[in-house]
Amino acid sequence: MEQLIEELKQEIINALNLEDMTPADIDENAPLFGEGLSLDSIDALELIVLMDKKYGIKLKTAAEGKEIFKSVKVMAEYINEHRTK
Amino acid sequence: MSVYIQSASHISIQEPLSEKWFTEPQIPEENFNLSIEPDYKQFIAPIEARRMGKLLKRAVTTSADALRKGGCEMPDAIITGTGLGCIENTEKFLNAMLDNDEECMPPTAFMQSTHNTISSQVALTLKCHGYNCTYSQQGFSFDSALLDAFMQFQLGRIGTALVEGHDEMSPDYYRMLGKIGYWKKEAANTEILREGCGVGSISGSSSVAILLSNKLNNNTLCEIKNIITLHCPDNSEIKTALENLLSESGITMNDIDAIVTGLSGDEANDAVYKEVAANCFNGKPLVWYKHIFGESFCASAFGIYIGATIISKGFIPEHLLYKSEKEIKNVSNILIYNHFQNKNHSLTLLQTVKG
Amino acid sequence: MSEIVVTGIGIISAIGNGLEQTVDSLLRGKSAVGTIRYLQTKHKEIPAGEVPYSDEQLRKMLDIAPDCNITRTSLLGQVALKEALKTAQLTEKQSFKIALIAGNTVGGMEKSEQYYHHFLNDEEYKEYIGLHDCGACTEMIANGIAFDFDLTTTISTACSSAANSIMLGADLIKTGRADIAVAGGTECLSKFHLNGFNSLMILDNEVCKPFDKNRRGLNLGEGAAFLVLETAESAARRGVQPICRLSGYANRCDAFHQTASSPNGEGAFLAMKNALEAAGLTPTDIDYINAHGTGTPNNDESEGHALMRIFGDKVPPISSTKAFTGHTTSASGAIEAVISILCLTRGFIPANLNFSEKIESLNFSPVTEVHTNQNLRHILTNSFGFGGNDSSCIFSKIG
Repeated sequence: MEQLIEELKQEIINALNLEDMTPADIDENAPLFGEGLSLDSIDALELIVLMDKKYGIKLKTAAEGKEIFKSVKVMAEYINEHRTK
Repeated sequence: MSVYIQSASHISIQEPLSEKWFTEPQIPEENFNLSIEPDYKQFIAPIEARRMGKLLKRAVTTSADALRKGGCEMPDAIITGTGLGCIENTEKFLNAMLDNDEECMPPTAFMQSTHNTISSQVALTLKCHGYNCTYSQQGFSFDSALLDAFMQFQLGRIGTALVEGHDEMSPDYYRMLGKIGYWKKEAANTEILREGCGVGSISGSSSVAILLSNKLNNNTLCEIKNIITLHCPDNSEIKTALENLLSESGITMNDIDAIVTGLSGDEANDAVYKEVAANCFNGKPLVWYKHIFGESFCASAFGIYIGATIISKGFIPEHLLYKSEKEIKNVSNILIYNHFQNKNHSLTLLQTVKG
Repeated sequence: MSEIVVTGIGIISAIGNGLEQTVDSLLRGKSAVGTIRYLQTKHKEIPAGEVPYSDEQLRKMLDIAPDCNITRTSLLGQVALKEALKTAQLTEKQSFKIALIAGNTVGGMEKSEQYYHHFLNDEEYKEYIGLHDCGACTEMIANGIAFDFDLTTTISTACSSAANSIMLGADLIKTGRADIAVAGGTECLSKFHLNGFNSLMILDNEVCKPFDKNRRGLNLGEGAAFLVLETAESAARRGVQPICRLSGYANRCDAFHQTASSPNGEGAFLAMKNALEAAGLTPTDIDYINAHGTGTPNNDESEGHALMRIFGDKVPPISSTKAFTGHTTSASGAIEAVISILCLTRGFIPANLNFSEKIESLNFSPVTEVHTNQNLRHILTNSFGFGGNDSSCIFSKIG
């Protein structure tokens, strides 16, 4: 799990083009949206693409993403359970 | 009603956000030339930069620089010309679509592929709710934007406007345009471009932001008297349009110090300039700029920028003159003539505000 | 300042080729959004409003040789432009200055996406490289007309492109730079657009439900429409009867987000407010609103709030016609302007299809049945684009 969280942090940095950020800057328990990294709806779409491309998880609507993208930790747990690759 | 150019800023293949090109230009040695990037961190926070390709960064940065220099915090209008928009993002999306068979498509690339992203990103950064428009008419894109801005002043709707021209050139698009004669086949230099034999020019990258205002201030570079546009004109139509443009400003061809042209080294392109010069410009000196800024759809924005810079500095350095002539001093009236493939033509008159 | 009138209109979309077919479809209340036939895409599960003619049929209609290189966007543009010029009785060039302004978003992409590997790797189809950009599409449309235009240009403000073209046309006339302006927009379906909107997850897999509580997204469409604008004096000089007036218009920017509209619809509010001011009208003068109403959760709520800010608790009869045509993106501003003008002159209000439940935070519901025999004096039409490029136009009855 620890390893997946670290990997995911780097994937998020790449997918969202968060220049100047390192995995250490991301708190896996902090909310990704609203406060925390203050990401928005387009970032959520990019994360949906990331889930599909990297872990083979297809989300049907942006609303589904909302629950899953609560924090890096929640995301990692979801991936762990549902990944197809 | 008067319209003044208050300030201008550029990011291009010359030293960015600088006027060094005016006295010490870098002479391009390749036919494919990349833009020189400034340090964007001074202008854009990293979290905002995450969804800005290079062209958007250039647009936001040149806009901020022009506003700062012109002493304006919020323009009444933002009007942009772009021939291709953010072509790098368009290609990214297109390649993803073709490579991944329409799966896992990147939304950010699509979003940025839309041409109006540039003007609206500038508005978003400034929180500007005013008039916002984007023109995409090949080498006439910036001219269209300037025409629109000028009309908004004429109609009394605005007091200030950012008028911009933004185009980037990707390696793939460069290759594609090369197939239809846009670039010189052999390595070109200023002398080869000046000879103007055969097809093509050298490529550049253009990001220019110009601040217009209806009020004169201490920094004003020059006045724009008018911009006239024509479509597929013959020489007599150009001559009539030019005479009208000059006479409404109370001057004659004799008062014009030089004509800024889009001479590029492409034989067909240059032939139009040479013929119009022979018939309409009374042997006045021709200025060119594509030998140092390169060709791109929005290169004509440099025409206005260079004209304004010449007037504010009062002289034309030797390297900008098409025929080797000595530096020209005491410049007060500059005509800018641009055409794209002999279809869209524009004539713009710039005048000094001094004395 | 002299009044701008409309003397010609032309239209092609999924609901029909030309004014009569368009009116007929609107009166019958039948959506033309359905399964994609001509566009080559793997996403056939996504419905769209496709113009029911192949490129070959469009070429035949326009008498264009098979070996002439032209994109579908330009073919559609020529069809609509020719009808507009015909209704304005503009068949030959006389001593007037005439401008052509077209809105367009992805130019020749529908061909580029098919030939892209050739563009990069070999010499085949290279003629289409020069037809890729937006401006080239407008030039190709102009080429199909027997006379020369004195100005051609292209506006690319995404889904408000055509509305802004109409405004530029009017401004060219007001500043004396043109006597006549032909303005509108054109866009064909492309894989690029379909996948782009799909990547933003704003496409509905069924026919869209604008302003419905359970709306899920938009359907893409394709088409073109053009308006011929001139002054009343110019129309009189040419002996042409004006169809209606373009009484007011405005372009404002939401400046909120790269794609999303603000919750209070600031840009839309400012565009409508300024258009009303320009027309010298008050909100109560508006008899019908042809909404932008795409059917996305975000647009309809944002537009709704902007409408409530303008009209209070008296929002006039309103409908979105996008469930008929699909969202024709850059062309939509002109397509919906032509639809509005047809409503004005023929006295009907088209239905907002597929509506069943009101959006909770809004105080109005759209018109769900077609209303005929209406006396409509002023119609407001909205066009909003990504990046907050929001524009509104008002068309008014003559006299």
